Amino acid sequence: MSAAPKPATVAAERVAHESAQLHVSGHATYIDDILVNAQLLHGHVYTSPHAHAQILSFDLEAARRAPGVFALLSHRDLPGHNDMGPIFHDEPVLAEGTVNFVGQAMFLIAAENESAALAAAKLIQVEYAPLPAIVTLEEAIRQDTKLQPSRKIIAGDAKAAIEKAPHRFSGTLKMGAQEHWYLETQACLVVPGEGDDLKAYSSTQHPSETQALIAEVLGLPKMNVEVEVRRMGGGFGGKETQANHPAIWAALLARKTRRPVKIRLFRDDDQKMTGKRHPFINDYEVGYDGNGRILGLEATLNTDGGAATDLTMAVLERAMMHLDNAYYIPDISIIGHARKTNLPSNTAFRGFGGPQGVAVIEQVMDRIARHLKMDPMEVRRRNFYLEGQPTPYAQPVINNRLQMIDQELSATSGYAERRKSVDAFNAAHVFKKRGLAMTPVKFGISFTTAFLNQAGALVNIYKDGSVLVNHGGTEMGQGLHTKMRQIAALELGLSLDRVKVNATNTSKVPNTSATAASAGSDLNGAAVKHATDILKARMAEVAATLLSAGKDTVSKPEHIQFRNDQVFDGQDPGRSMDFPTLCERCVFHQVSLSATGFYRTPEVHFDREKGKGKPYHYFSFGMGVTEIELDTLTGHVQLIRTDLLHDVGESINPNIDIGQVEGAYVQGLGWVSTEECKWNEKGHLLNHSPDTYKIPNIQDIAPDFRTALLQNAPNPNTIRRSKAVAEPPFMLAFSAWLAIKDAISAVGGHQFEPEFQIPATNEFILISVEQVRGQMRAQAKA
Amino acid sequence: MNHENQKVVFLLDGKRTEIDFARQQALTPDTTVLNYLRSMPDRKGTKEGCAEGDCGACTVAIGECGPDGTMNYKACDSCIILLPMLHGKQLITVEDLGRPEALHPVQQAMVDCDGSQCGYCTPGFVMSLFARYKQAGETTHAELLDGLTGNLCRCTGYRSIMEAAEKACAHKVPDHFNASAKEAADLLTSIKANTPDIAIHTSGHRYFRPSALATALQLRAAHPEALIVCGATDVGLQVTKQKRSLPLLLDLSGLDELKRITATKSGIEFGATASLENVKAHAKDVFPALYDMLSVFGSRQIREQATLGGNLANASPIGDTPPVLMALDAAVVLSSTNGNRTMKVTEFITGYRTTDLKSDEIIAHVLVPHTPTGVVVRAYKISKRKDLDISTVSGGFRIVLSPEGIVQEIALYYGGMAAMTKRAAQAEAFLLGKSWTQANAEAAMPLIDAEFTPISDARSGKEGRRLMARNLLLKFWSDTAITTPNPTHA
Repeated sequence: MSAAPKPATVAAERVAHESAQLHVSGHATYIDDILVNAQLLHGHVYTSPHAHAQILSFDLEAARRAPGVFALLSHRDLPGHNDMGPIFHDEPVLAEGTVNFVGQAMFLIAAENESAALAAAKLIQVEYAPLPAIVTLEEAIRQDTKLQPSRKIIAGDAKAAIEKAPHRFSGTLKMGAQEHWYLETQACLVVPGEGDDLKAYSSTQHPSETQALIAEVLGLPKMNVEVEVRRMGGGFGGKETQANHPAIWAALLARKTRRPVKIRLFRDDDQKMTGKRHPFINDYEVGYDGNGRILGLEATLNTDGGAATDLTMAVLERAMMHLDNAYYIPDISIIGHARKTNLPSNTAFRGFGGPQGVAVIEQVMDRIARHLKMDPMEVRRRNFYLEGQPTPYAQPVINNRLQMIDQELSATSGYAERRKSVDAFNAAHVFKKRGLAMTPVKFGISFTTAFLNQAGALVNIYKDGSVLVNHGGTEMGQGLHTKMRQIAALELGLSLDRVKVNATNTSKVPNTSATAASAGSDLNGAAVKHATDILKARMAEVAATLLSAGKDTVSKPEHIQFRNDQVFDGQDPGRSMDFPTLCERCVFHQVSLSATGFYRTPEVHFDREKGKGKPYHYFSFGMGVTEIELDTLTGHVQLIRTDLLHDVGESINPNIDIGQVEGAYVQGLGWVSTEECKWNEKGHLLNHSPDTYKIPNIQDIAPDFRTALLQNAPNPNTIRRSKAVAEPPFMLAFSAWLAIKDAISAVGGHQFEPEFQIPATNEFILISVEQVRGQMRAQAKA
Repeated sequence: MNHENQKVVFLLDGKRTEIDFARQQALTPDTTVLNYLRSMPDRKGTKEGCAEGDCGACTVAIGECGPDGTMNYKACDSCIILLPMLHGKQLITVEDLGRPEALHPVQQAMVDCDGSQCGYCTPGFVMSLFARYKQAGETTHAELLDGLTGNLCRCTGYRSIMEAAEKACAHKVPDHFNASAKEAADLLTSIKANTPDIAIHTSGHRYFRPSALATALQLRAAHPEALIVCGATDVGLQVTKQKRSLPLLLDLSGLDELKRITATKSGIEFGATASLENVKAHAKDVFPALYDMLSVFGSRQIREQATLGGNLANASPIGDTPPVLMALDAAVVLSSTNGNRTMKVTEFITGYRTTDLKSDEIIAHVLVPHTPTGVVVRAYKISKRKDLDISTVSGGFRIVLSPEGIVQEIALYYGGMAAMTKRAAQAEAFLLGKSWTQANAEAAMPLIDAEFTPISDARSGKEGRRLMARNLLLKFWSDTAITTPNPTHA
């Protein structure tokens, strides 16, 4: 009799990213690395130079005849619909009649190489009649342009509550766009197959939608279009809908030429053509009491959706639903307007509107604290949700971790003592000021469009005992495939090397949702488990029969267990066989070793008309503390220390989750500080390359950077009691943002409310410091 | 023409590799090293992230045989280096580091510390880290930080990468490059000995890479229209960003004699084609202001390629070195077949991207005189991001104070405020002869407003630039004053 197998410990062991070895050796394959035969053509997109203009005429003949050109397409050459809007149908594949933003696709060229395509593009003749263009959100608000009807979420009577409140103020918070700056630009390779078949290798977060839109634009049934994603070189939301565009364009050219066509946007073109994080201008009025408790809040959110709707309404909705962040506000009114401008359509970006809602209430907390001369964290604490209190959209906050995180992080970060040392530093320095801030995040997990909360998986076990997991989620660096591999291995009791996660492919798992809303692991993990449960049940029947052979008693299928690459009878662990042997016997016994799994999130719903419901399966929580030093003469901000504590339930992979928390924070740091998108009066993006668009680099992080995951906080009702991670920690960067404000405020001894916005660039900081100094001078004179 | 001269010869994965431009058309002398690598099926690990040297995804290591016969390795952005510049060098890409039996220690550390997420930037980080791993002696934390500044990652937040870097460099062990270094050095030495000069002449391109200054000057005189290139950190962008073909190039990167940095009695003579990384090392103890400026100049990859001569010849109003070189009273030595002439940097730069360089001249040296006792020079750079950014406003300032704190001499050179580096003459005139006090510095600040009309652009608005320029004067005061600052004045 052999010793009883040990319990499975895969999740407790350190598991590196499943592609880490490939990443570091340069062998991980991205779209541009796929080897294609010599027939490959270069796909080029000819774009609009105008923000808004009527297309009077165009002449493509000379360009079509140019050497090396194989196809040149306009909207007249589309076999199916001229629409690539993912939800609302307001986004043409190729401009027709008018152009609505600089960088809008007008014509497509397939040429033997880039230089032939560029030479041909120069021969294209277009006559335009420029039309008035709206290229700022301010102007769109002034003209009251709307992409779709406005939204509202209301609880209680905010107006009355504010009027009755002992203190009140109002304000406006501006937030700029953020470029995704995924390292791999938008790319797709389309290879025609036999008949009507096409295979698209796409860097997309949403292969099913990419497939659907290619099929619709080409007028084909979806069964003819296969989309595959091995991995993306970063996505962050930027490839949720807008990766569809190059895929559609490449498919059109491949269909036309019957040759493989690749479109990989050049960095500058990617920055100019694609949408960004939504800019917002949010007005607010708040009433509060002398203890810093908010009594009522009214907010009006205005977002720049760009020229087409894309995901703007869902982004706006999430911004509205996150304006409360971690705070119970009894009387609240939130109105949201999606403004139409002549800029590229803004799109999903990590946080998906959440940050643009959270920023408002964090700014409000900070202002209340300054008015009442209280510590801002104390004001926050007094407003934290208590267990079971309802959000403005009437979902109670249950399994609230705010107090737990506050207690732990306040202690580990030494927040209170460091507040004193920051004050002491500021008293001793004139031109250098330090700032400190601690901010929380509460983030709702689920797609707010309830039906999207579904996922599928296809698990194939081969005769040799190796397992190929297919699921609907895509890998963009977040470690989803690593977690799916761990889940399959854990459920089947196998070592990781027996399990591989396949490239995501629409022919393996159909009709999937985007890998988005941080929900990839929750949804797909549960679907993978469903598939392995089915397989284990089938295999247990065979195992029970085999393990009973020649024995006095019969092993029952329900007692069969899978662990350590073995299959055994839990009642009599001596009855065991190894996993590959069982696989082989299952095939011999005519038992299928392939199963699909499916998952839908239970009980999520939201009524858009009423602004009420239970849109989220659960909430994620986290907090951050950041200390910075500001050179008030140059505007340079140096992070000194960062402490992050984040709730991921019981982590499936702690090192991957920590990487997500840190990466999100630093991406947020970029948005609130150095990343600035400016368009000129003609709607041309000025910051269209890393020369002028500055994401954080290695010198911008705190030399003392501490990240921890909340322990002993299992999440009920999710895969392995875990929680989503990707988006919520983005908002921990508000601790850095408000630490900058704290340092500016310190210039005036915290007597004056500094001007503040996102991003707080060095230029903006200097202007704000100058205003504080002006107020000091005025006060000194008075 | 000697046919041998048309060939560029280098080592790739330790193997002698020849590119004969006369015999094939896919590659031209203005092909970038990145595009060359990516044209091969087994060299796709090196990535294009931006094609302008700002993200480091394309980082490769370039090995050179030093005068002492040892190999040294530098990290470079392959997206902006032209292929012929590899002549006589060893090109190492991410695929070359590991061996079938094991990853290279820098690769293994990245795996162990979760240094990769999407993986697209990873090969570049690995190569930058490799160069620091291979540097002689210990690699300090500061050197690692500096060595990874030229690599952008959008996923990890960098902490894990830094941890990997520390881990890899904590216990360096010899790798397979140590084992093959002698062989590589011998091969490179023989390549340079056999074909010191390159002269490519194909139907669309002419490219000259002389090894002697005298030859370079003759070529310059014979082909005054040739575009001069050395590090290609700026010229390379014409290929990658403006999609231009460069039909006629005179590459000075083979001129060892212009790379020398020599201490003279009066100062230091920097060869015009010495890399900025080398200039920085030599400036550290002698010209701290120049060192400070070079510390925030581009990235390690850029500084390994870029040159002082190139930065001056560009004469960009936002160039980092002109203000500080002017404040240091530096001069340039211009050479032609007719001899040399020397002129102050202040006179050399004549306007927006224009200089006094004649069509038969090249910049040979930059002379930086020792800073006399009592003279204080400081350099400042304000940019949106501290590192790997271009100046929004910069300053190179010089001051002489009497023992009583009276301003006896002052020069305030500003970059980013006009079409060329420009002095704040009115503020200087105001301050001259006055006490170097906060009140006087602040009184001079509005005068800076009066004499500059900066532009608004992607980096800053004009009001922001004015504010920065004013503030830099106050910062200069606070860094050089004997008295303590007064908050109410501020």
